[in-house]
Amino acid sequence: MNNNNTENSTQALVSLKDITKVFFTDDVETHAINNINLSINKGEYLSISGPSGCGKSTLLSLLGLLDTSSSGSYTLAGHNVSDLNRDERSAIRNKEIGFIFQAFNLISDLTVAENIELPLTYRSDFDATQRAAMVNAALDKVDMLHRAHHFPSQLSGGQQQRVAVARAISAKPAIILADEPTGNLDSKNAQIVMALLDQLHQEGATICMVTHDPRSAARAERMIEVFDGKIVADQLTQAPTAIAV
Amino acid sequence: MSITLDIKYAARLLHKKPAFTALTIFIVAIGLGLTLYTYSLLSSLVFKPLLLNKDSAVISIEAEFDPSHLSRRGVDAYDFLTIRNELDSIDEFGIYENDTALIGKPQNNAATRKYNAVQIEWNVFEFSGVKPIMGRALIAEDHFEGAEPVIVLGYDVWQQYFLADKDIVNTSILVDAVATRVVGVMPQGFAFPMTAQIWIPIAQKYLTPTDRSRSWLFSYARLKTDVSFDVFSQELALLNKTVVKSLPDNMRWRLDDFEGYLRAVPYKKASITQFYSIFITMGVVVVLILLLACINVGNLLLARVNERFKEVAIRIALGVPRHRLILQMLLESIFICSVGGFLAVLFAGWGLELSNTVFDQMFMVNQEKPFWWQVSLDTDAIILLVLSVVAMIVITGFIPAWRALSCDFNGVLRDGTRGSQGKKAARASQILVISEIFLSCVVLVIATILLSTSYSAGQADYGVDTKNRITATLELPESSYPIRSDTEFELADTLKRTAFYYDLQDVLEQMPNIEAVAFMSSLPGTGEGASFFEIEGRAAAVYNENPFSNNEVASRGAWNALGMTVIQGRDFSLDDISEEIDTIIINESIANDFFPDGDAIGQRVRRAMRNVDREGGWQTIVGVVSDTFHGSAMRTSSEQYSSYFMLDNVGFSWINMAIHYSGSQVLAEKSLQQAINQVNNNATVYHIQSYDELISQPMILVSAISKVFLLCGVIAVFLAASGIYAVAANSVSQRTQEIGVRRALGASDSKIMQLFMRKALWQLVIGLSIGITLSLWVVNQMTDTMVINQGSYLIGLLGIPLLIVIMVIVATYVPTRKVVLMEPSDALHHD
Ligand SMILES: Nc1ncnc2c1ncn2[C@@H]1O[C@H](COP(=O)(O)OP(=O)(O)OP(=O)(O)O)[C@@H](O)[C@H]1O
Ligand SMILES: [Mg+2]
Repeated sequence: MNNNNTENSTQALVSLKDITKVFFTDDVETHAINNINLSINKGEYLSISGPSGCGKSTLLSLLGLLDTSSSGSYTLAGHNVSDLNRDERSAIRNKEIGFIFQAFNLISDLTVAENIELPLTYRSDFDATQRAAMVNAALDKVDMLHRAHHFPSQLSGGQQQRVAVARAISAKPAIILADEPTGNLDSKNAQIVMALLDQLHQEGATICMVTHDPRSAARAERMIEVFDGKIVADQLTQAPTAIAV
Repeated sequence: MSITLDIKYAARLLHKKPAFTALTIFIVAIGLGLTLYTYSLLSSLVFKPLLLNKDSAVISIEAEFDPSHLSRRGVDAYDFLTIRNELDSIDEFGIYENDTALIGKPQNNAATRKYNAVQIEWNVFEFSGVKPIMGRALIAEDHFEGAEPVIVLGYDVWQQYFLADKDIVNTSILVDAVATRVVGVMPQGFAFPMTAQIWIPIAQKYLTPTDRSRSWLFSYARLKTDVSFDVFSQELALLNKTVVKSLPDNMRWRLDDFEGYLRAVPYKKASITQFYSIFITMGVVVVLILLLACINVGNLLLARVNERFKEVAIRIALGVPRHRLILQMLLESIFICSVGGFLAVLFAGWGLELSNTVFDQMFMVNQEKPFWWQVSLDTDAIILLVLSVVAMIVITGFIPAWRALSCDFNGVLRDGTRGSQGKKAARASQILVISEIFLSCVVLVIATILLSTSYSAGQADYGVDTKNRITATLELPESSYPIRSDTEFELADTLKRTAFYYDLQDVLEQMPNIEAVAFMSSLPGTGEGASFFEIEGRAAAVYNENPFSNNEVASRGAWNALGMTVIQGRDFSLDDISEEIDTIIINESIANDFFPDGDAIGQRVRRAMRNVDREGGWQTIVGVVSDTFHGSAMRTSSEQYSSYFMLDNVGFSWINMAIHYSGSQVLAEKSLQQAINQVNNNATVYHIQSYDELISQPMILVSAISKVFLLCGVIAVFLAASGIYAVAANSVSQRTQEIGVRRALGASDSKIMQLFMRKALWQLVIGLSIGITLSLWVVNQMTDTMVINQGSYLIGLLGIPLLIVIMVIVATYVPTRKVVLMEPSDALHHD
């Protein structure tokens, strides 16, 4: 069943061709990503797993334009994004990509609402009222409206991660990238966040999630396994139906 | 045991970052060195009371300072007698008159030489606790009328002029051409009251005057031990009131205001009244710099604590006792401050040595260096240093220790990330930056305004050509050229004197290297007396509503030698020597302002006085000459109007001269000496220097001090720039992860830069507002003695803020840029 989705796709959202990433530290060369080809279709829910240090986070950084590959080409929504300059990459991140981190990464000096509004302020297409509406909509979706004016430090870990999810989706990105979104959470809070992702997927979002947890991985419709910088497995999950909310 | 471990650890940390260690030590050394230097300078020049071998301070009782000519004023002998008789708080008291004397040898016809002399009360040597090394001091009998003229020589006069003649005591020498017996020689370095080189007993009539006179005396005094200076000042103020009441009309010129004219001043302060505020400013500036240095060192150490946050957190988790942690932080600053303090002593010592050289150069020509202007590091200074080092250790050690202890270690350890900069710490670093901005602004504005003022005073156009000109003062022995005033011989005596000057001019002008010679009471660029004048038919109702002009005495044909021109009418001529008509030449400004129709020539003016009886006779205007500025360089704009009287009618026994030469200056000076010897070798010439030197003379101290200020300014910029850089780098690196998040969310480079630059701009606005306000205030305090031109204000108040803006922007931009250029994925995982 290898790569079947890729072949069949008519509208690949993401397409990586021969991507490698080499880190140089002192005199050691680390091939974190080793000649990876991958395409992701619009609306897909994809999980990436593999042993520690195999290159999952690096792959996600490359997908999110947080880092540049050493070689290879990357097409996102029909545009070649391998050779963009720093500000063009910023603009793409801002419009097309939503991030959810393991450590939440909310900005501690900004309130919940301000945190969510932040990426929206980096572009000029929305005025203040539009932004407020979008922030409210996103907060409503993660059920955090009642905490809009709290600071991150006043929230529990699970709540913080829900805010982070709201921030990621507020601008309706083309793809949501999540690196171990439940890694810092207990199982109950992890459940809530996973349910949120399921819901987003049902509403049509494209999600790409790195996870250790096989149960989390199982919720995705497509599982990719990475080993030593290479994709060693790429398959549809057995039970592709998500739990309805 | 545990302490040695901590010391070892601190040493290892310092050793690991040699650049950091060197920088911090350097900053400490500069801050402390400058403080030490300035303290020593100010205390020996101004603030440490002059004790002169005794316990209580020497003070001066003199007239109020003359603010328009920036000079001290003498007191009537009659008032000194009253003070002596009526003020019981005075323990010791003596009076003197400053003078110069021409010393000569009677035997061979050797050249005379001019020395600083004082005519002084015999008790001066007892007062100062110094005994002669040979012969005797003065005694009361030396003052008596008819007593044999005697003199006490200073060491240098004895060494240089009398070639250390062992048998000098009791020999007869010439003092202003009068045979005088040497009774004693003073030890090296003794120059009390200030710059004296020879001591002559003052005439008895000044000690016990029976009436008021125009005498111009100064005094030295010590108060009884139980009387404070303030109490004495009040007593003197009371006495002042009775003096004012008893002052007859013809003595009212002594008064500037109606409170009286006498004042008591600490002795050292009296000699630098016009510079006092500059010295104070200097003290303020240096304290500011020390503060800057403290902030910087504290800040650098703080940045290190931030770097070591995790390590400190782990130590706390391991249960380190609080005092051990504080001690550990302190150890580093103890090391840094102690080494810095040691270097500071070297810096300061070097600076003081340099200052002594500068003083010697400054006073080389006029020999007027007060004897206490000899600076060195004394015990006070060392005690101050030790205290400052301790204070610095406390300040710079406790800031980081407090920061280390006041953070949430639990959070740091739990999240495994460095705690984000807390609100408190962020505010602290903001205050640091703002303080650095305003402190450096104040120091720099003051420095540039002073520098630019002294520079432009040196460059000012005095209306004369100073190129290829030397100036000198010429003095005739009054005994050989007496003027028998109010007798039939007066005119002839006067002409005999002036004939000397014109003869000298003729001899000089015949020499191939001399172009022209001018004699003038005060050459343009230097100050002399000014008074009101009245135009015939246009007298003001009150004398002091008349215009005011400088009055100078000038020789015939003086203009050309100075590069001045006769614009209208004619120069003085021999025909003007008459008792019937008095002639006068005015300058262009008077002509333009009062005779705009060009009809000045032939009009008459006269001096207008407070007292109608003393009004001068009418003088006819015969010429108009180009404008020059008289008045000292610190106040170039003092007086624009000048009137010139003919030398032939006045006949001063001393006069200033300017010589326009070609070829070398040294040759011109030789020619002058040669010409004097040829005409009359009893005359003495001194203060020989180039015209430019003459003009820069009053500003020498200011320009020397402004160089110290400039040094302070450079140090301030260095401190502020490195400090602001460190703060910015620190706060940016604290927020690296946040920057990563923002970049992940799609912030462009410029958005991130804006975030930090906007903060810097805010700090600039606040810091500069405080800084400019404060420096304006300080500068205003200095303007009582200096005229600060608009250009200087412009440079100071626009140029400096601009410089600081650039500095802050660069210091913020560079470290921010570094983080912004990181890949977002690296920034996110940064710790
Ligand atoms: N900035 C970097 N510099 C040098 N090497 C790096 C860098 N980032 C990652 N690596 C190396 O690249 C390899 C892949 O790292 P990556 O973070 O992608 O692993 P991972 O699969 O996310 O592991 P984990 O499950 O533990 O998070 C590792 O060997 C890591 O040491
Ligand atoms: Mg990872």
